[in-house]
Amino acid sequence: MKITQREVGNAVVLDLNGKLTGGPDAETFREVFKSLIDRDKKNIVVNLEKVSWINSTGLGILISGYTSVRRGGGDLVIMHASDRIESILYVTKLNLLFKSYESEESALSAFGEK
Amino acid sequence: MELTFPSDFKYLGAVDAAIQDLAREFAFSQSSINDLSAALIEACSNAIEHGNKFSKRKRVRVVLGFNGGSLSARVYDQGGGFDYNKILARSLPPEPISERGRGLMIMQAFTDELNFTYLAKKGLCVELVKVDKDSAKKAEGGEAG
Repeated sequence: MKITQREVGNAVVLDLNGKLTGGPDAETFREVFKSLIDRDKKNIVVNLEKVSWINSTGLGILISGYTSVRRGGGDLVIMHASDRIESILYVTKLNLLFKSYESEESALSAFGEK
Repeated sequence: MELTFPSDFKYLGAVDAAIQDLAREFAFSQSSINDLSAALIEACSNAIEHGNKFSKRKRVRVVLGFNGGSLSARVYDQGGGFDYNKILARSLPPEPISERGRGLMIMQAFTDELNFTYLAKKGLCVELVKVDKDSAKKAEGGEAG
């Protein structure tokens, strides 16, 4: 899993590339979120456009990021989730936790940015 | 069709590719393919993590089969098994922010049949079965399989 960070307005977009399956991905993700929180970056958009699929361990990684950001008073939303990922979020009821957007513009609008 | 691979998540992509190709060959709809693939990836993830505990000495074996519109995948690990009846009996979903406990939900939601068998001193076998109506019709007509 490769993660690239972009600052857009008052948010940070994390472009993920690969498969979100746990293992080494968990540590990478944790380090990224620690760094974001250390830099007081609280509004996070996770771009799943290039994530082909996810398993339950990968869901745990996303939840861990969500919890870290929320604890710091921010929020984490997702965008460009494929049908495969959306259906997994739905059956695990995580669609109730993660706000999911079809475009970057709408995702950023969650933080008051256009 | 059979796949055997080491206990590492990096091999899950190969499992996904194999089930996608096979299900397409038997005229499964994309929706059914996605369902079965998600369930199979989850079963293999469990075999790697909870069954074999990422041991480099242990392998995961996947046996795929087709029978008249239904695809089955049996996933074998080499671990000590777990009390799957206890987990199956769990009625409450995990807390929304719990990072664990959704694997079984995924396997149950995306399959038509889910069976667990512990093979003494060998490990756990998880069997996933997915039925696809279009594929079944074609199989009856002799167009697939």
